[in-house]
Amino acid sequence: MTPSIPPHSSHTTLWERWVSHAQRNPDGQAVIHYVAGETPRVWSWQAIIERAARYAAALKQAGVRPGHVCATVLRHHPEFYPLYMGIEAAGAIPAVLAYPNARLHPDKFRDGLAGIARNSGLDFILTQRELEENVRPLATGSASSVRDILFPLDWNDEGNLPPAPTLPHPNVDASAPCLLQHSSGTTGLQKAIMLSHAAVLEHVTRYGHAIALTESDRVISWLPLYHDMGLIAAFHLPLAFGIPTIQIDPFEWVMAPVLLLDAIASEKATLSWLPNFAYNLMADRIRDEDLEGIRLDGLRMLINCSEPIRAASHEKFLRRFAPLGLRASALGGCYAMAETTFAVTQTHADSAPAVLDASRSALAAGRFEAPSPGESVMRCASSGAVISGCEVRVADEHGLDLPENKVGEIFIRSVSMFGGYRNNPEKTAQVLKDGWYASGDYGFSHNSQLYVIGRKKDIIIVAGKNLYPEDIEDAVGHVDGVIPGRVVAFGSEDDSAGTEQVCIVAETSRDQAPQRKALRRAIVEAGMAIDVTIARVYLAPPRWLIKSSSGKPSRSANRDRAASELKPEGTA
Amino acid sequence: MISERLRKVILTDLKLEDMELTDSTTAPQVPGWDSLAHVGLIAAIEKEYGIRFKTLEIIRLKNVGDLQAAVDKKTAERR
Repeated sequence: MTPSIPPHSSHTTLWERWVSHAQRNPDGQAVIHYVAGETPRVWSWQAIIERAARYAAALKQAGVRPGHVCATVLRHHPEFYPLYMGIEAAGAIPAVLAYPNARLHPDKFRDGLAGIARNSGLDFILTQRELEENVRPLATGSASSVRDILFPLDWNDEGNLPPAPTLPHPNVDASAPCLLQHSSGTTGLQKAIMLSHAAVLEHVTRYGHAIALTESDRVISWLPLYHDMGLIAAFHLPLAFGIPTIQIDPFEWVMAPVLLLDAIASEKATLSWLPNFAYNLMADRIRDEDLEGIRLDGLRMLINCSEPIRAASHEKFLRRFAPLGLRASALGGCYAMAETTFAVTQTHADSAPAVLDASRSALAAGRFEAPSPGESVMRCASSGAVISGCEVRVADEHGLDLPENKVGEIFIRSVSMFGGYRNNPEKTAQVLKDGWYASGDYGFSHNSQLYVIGRKKDIIIVAGKNLYPEDIEDAVGHVDGVIPGRVVAFGSEDDSAGTEQVCIVAETSRDQAPQRKALRRAIVEAGMAIDVTIARVYLAPPRWLIKSSSGKPSRSANRDRAASELKPEGTA
Repeated sequence: MISERLRKVILTDLKLEDMELTDSTTAPQVPGWDSLAHVGLIAAIEKEYGIRFKTLEIIRLKNVGDLQAAVDKKTAERR
């Protein structure tokens, strides 16, 4: 067995770490850019560092200085990686933002980007010509922090990508910020998380040990890089350790999920991270004939993260792909969040997550208990044990520690904790107290394993993407026919897809069938305009929604009431 | 031109009662046709016509017109 990689504690910035890989292993693979049906573009360490140095020089010419925030809004592209590294080489701070989905209305996209620019203080936006018309106005308003919009994919060897005869130096120290991540959403109110070079390097080192990373590992991912799982686990982790990362286009993967298995086999990948829905999607939707020649024996770990782990999804996936050589012990789990850089807990590298059958009524009463015969059972999959550098407590509503088997809110302390939401002291104060981060997730510990079973916040997680009910309610509340402010959005379990689906209850005074049909359609379309698929619409008469003590309609109470009293509207 | 048969499969799979689909209609314009629903819809079309698409054929589709052309090509090959 290859010995695991020792920590490289002598490097202070990401760039210095990467340069050391290029010096030690110039021909080694750094990034493999994968496109279906094409020969993958392989960046060796030497080539990617040289290219990044040229981007750093070009960025400097464009006015980028150490500490500037450079947001990227780019599609899956082979130049993305050296560009990202070039931003680091210039001492600036990359912030990867989502490329707008075709469903997202251009105005919503621009408003969202303007909000991020304002709240997070973006200095430059690096994007593609296709978005120029929509993005350009952001750099002109006097209130905007945006200094310029840049189109780095236009830069080329002949023109403005200057040679870099010497390696740049970022001129920042380890405590300086190295990246800015945003929570998901489209409203521009996303929380911005700034992480330092020290936090990221420290975290990936510790996390690498938790998953027994070796120099022969090869990471593969279709995850978007604006998400912490894609950015930290599948990009920064391999780059920091000097092992290859294979990057698949998220848009291509979701249309043809077999691509991941195909690439695992052809690229001999050993490690990947997936949100829970992906296990169901691949088990259900990949056809046998597409699996010909694919073997998964070399896969060391597939780590389930970013949605609650559903034991049934793992079982289904294993049943389907064990004949291809997938081992049960390769299915892992992890509990992670951007606020702690990434992972908090991780299952053991050589074993599947422990699964506990729990009595639902006992869980509802705040404790784990084995079910009595005939009782309703919740199957809870472990997210693993706390990784080094992190501490976890489960606490009651007064913040007092709870013993094992008691359900409470999960609080985390970590050596790689974020310093607070950028430009948002109120939100920071709500979640960060005495160095402990209040996750808003509920769970319990049992035999030193953490089981995450729900959450305090009303976030809906659809296919690994966090959706905020407020955003959806706001969009639906503006639909003609919906009584303003009388809307709730909530998630409901979709067992077959292994994720949640979005449901709406909206009050309306319309009572004729054709009008209601049109209203349902308008509500679904309002969701589409913010890139949210609304699966179920309940229309209720005026004054139907139950209000909470704050005077706003209560999501949980109305979810339960809708399920028992209303029928979802038929389709329009 | 989108055939009535293809239109019907799409609308049924997406649980839509009625909607006009033209050659240039794209998935994001159709309620419920998101990337997750796409895989299931392709499977429904394959079942209806008794055809099989290759991964690359699915990825390269840009609009409903492309989908119709791909269906026509596959069904012609089968004959």
